[in-house]
Amino acid sequence: MDEGRNGRSGSFGDTVAMDLAAGRAVDLAELYALDAVTGQERDAIDLYISTAPEAERLAFLARVRQSRETLARTFRAEEEPPSDLFDRIVAQLPAQFPKQDGPDAGSTAAAAPTAAVDGLAGRDELAQARKRREERRGSSGTRRWLVGVAAAAAIALGGVGVGAYMADQNDPVNQVARASDLREASVNVAGGGKATVLISESKDSAVVKMSGVPAPPAGKVYQMWLIPKDGSAPVSQGLMDEQALSKPAVVQGIHSAAALGITVEPAGGSKAPTLPTVAAAPLGA
Amino acid sequence: MTLLEAGTRQNSRSRHGSAKNSPPGDLCLKVMETPNAPNSEGSAAVTDPPADLSKRLSALLDGIARGDQAAFAEFYQLTSRRVYGMARRVLIDPELSEDTTQEVFLQVWQNAAKFDPQAGSPLSWLMTISHRRAVDKVRSAQSSTDREARYGASTQDIDHDTVSDEVGSRLEAEAVVRCLGTLTETQQESVRLAYYGGLTYREVAERLNAAVPTIKSRIRDGLIRLKTCLGVS
Repeated sequence: MDEGRNGRSGSFGDTVAMDLAAGRAVDLAELYALDAVTGQERDAIDLYISTAPEAERLAFLARVRQSRETLARTFRAEEEPPSDLFDRIVAQLPAQFPKQDGPDAGSTAAAAPTAAVDGLAGRDELAQARKRREERRGSSGTRRWLVGVAAAAAIALGGVGVGAYMADQNDPVNQVARASDLREASVNVAGGGKATVLISESKDSAVVKMSGVPAPPAGKVYQMWLIPKDGSAPVSQGLMDEQALSKPAVVQGIHSAAALGITVEPAGGSKAPTLPTVAAAPLGA
Repeated sequence: MTLLEAGTRQNSRSRHGSAKNSPPGDLCLKVMETPNAPNSEGSAAVTDPPADLSKRLSALLDGIARGDQAAFAEFYQLTSRRVYGMARRVLIDPELSEDTTQEVFLQVWQNAAKFDPQAGSPLSWLMTISHRRAVDKVRSAQSSTDREARYGASTQDIDHDTVSDEVGSRLEAEAVVRCLGTLTETQQESVRLAYYGGLTYREVAERLNAAVPTIKSRIRDGLIRLKTCLGVS
């Protein structure tokens, strides 16, 4: 299609910026759809297209759509995922997963909504993946990142014979909130709203509640970090997207941490915090 | 036969209604799943978009957007092999591939309401999310040199992507192979390096020792040719 334009092949520039400046944004549609540009280039294209004249924008979007359909039909690798993967996904679904009265629901009643952060901290690294695998084999209670989601929600999946899913029965938010040594700290979040931190030394945990905090910018997430007392690198505690913001999140293993920090990171999170933090709360007594 | 049964084995890609036989298209589903179905019956569907699957997946996404867990489970059954299969190609490492698959389906759960049927098919929407995730992860986890080395190992069976022997999907796979054949070798190579290698155009150019503008053109022209051959509109 549109062979006339494509006949101009060879007139691409060396960089995306040059192509945009030369009015060749539409010709970048295929590279864009293929994710064959860097994140920065993608942002530049997005910005350009969002303000481009309608005809140009629509032409670009149409070619992106066609390219994506083409790719989905062309690259068709299939492989059976591990049989327990679906269970693991369901166990991580945010607490918005409506509670249903499955056969075991009775024992888990009255649970507060709990951390919706999906427990995928440090997910970029192979080492983290291995660690996770080891932790799966061991006690799941030793997880140090934000305790998973859907705690105490019994989820019945009708029609596929999966039955009820039990997440963490010992709702960690309640455990911390009931602690006798509970302290509360509140810090403002840059960009609006505040973060309230409930700290329990005896539970070695803190509950973080955000209120009035705006959703992260498109393509970004909030990431929570524990900043160790010994000056070593901050340790990621997990990611928060728009949905997760409304729910309290539990951070465990605070005894060795001096403070809790929140940063804005690209979707998927970062290995190290991007400064400045949007909020930081001291954890020490 | 129910979708769920089909999904346990593979994506039910074979159940394309044929646009060319339009209204009776749905009725020939059974024929297409019969190994002895005449080829002429099936071949009409080869380049047609998998309309039935799209319709089903769209309906499931509607359900997911309303918080319907059964819809989520069925959507997973119908598509997880594709998501995981692609992740394995890009990331190689099984653990990272599982993580990616997990993140993709969490995103499906959270963003199903944002799916817009006008903007593309559900499978394309899903694979766009999946590829982006896999590429982000591979770029942060490995240097591009690593990736290039790994890519070599992952490409050998590139033309045998679809293990399924079901008639419909075999025909679709044959159409893809035929259409890939209309690309020049260098176009194919560039598109594949970008898709399964997770490379940027600049990295593709470095790897192939070619000029950056040349690679950009190859990728663009290759994809457009493929699109035209497959009849994507």
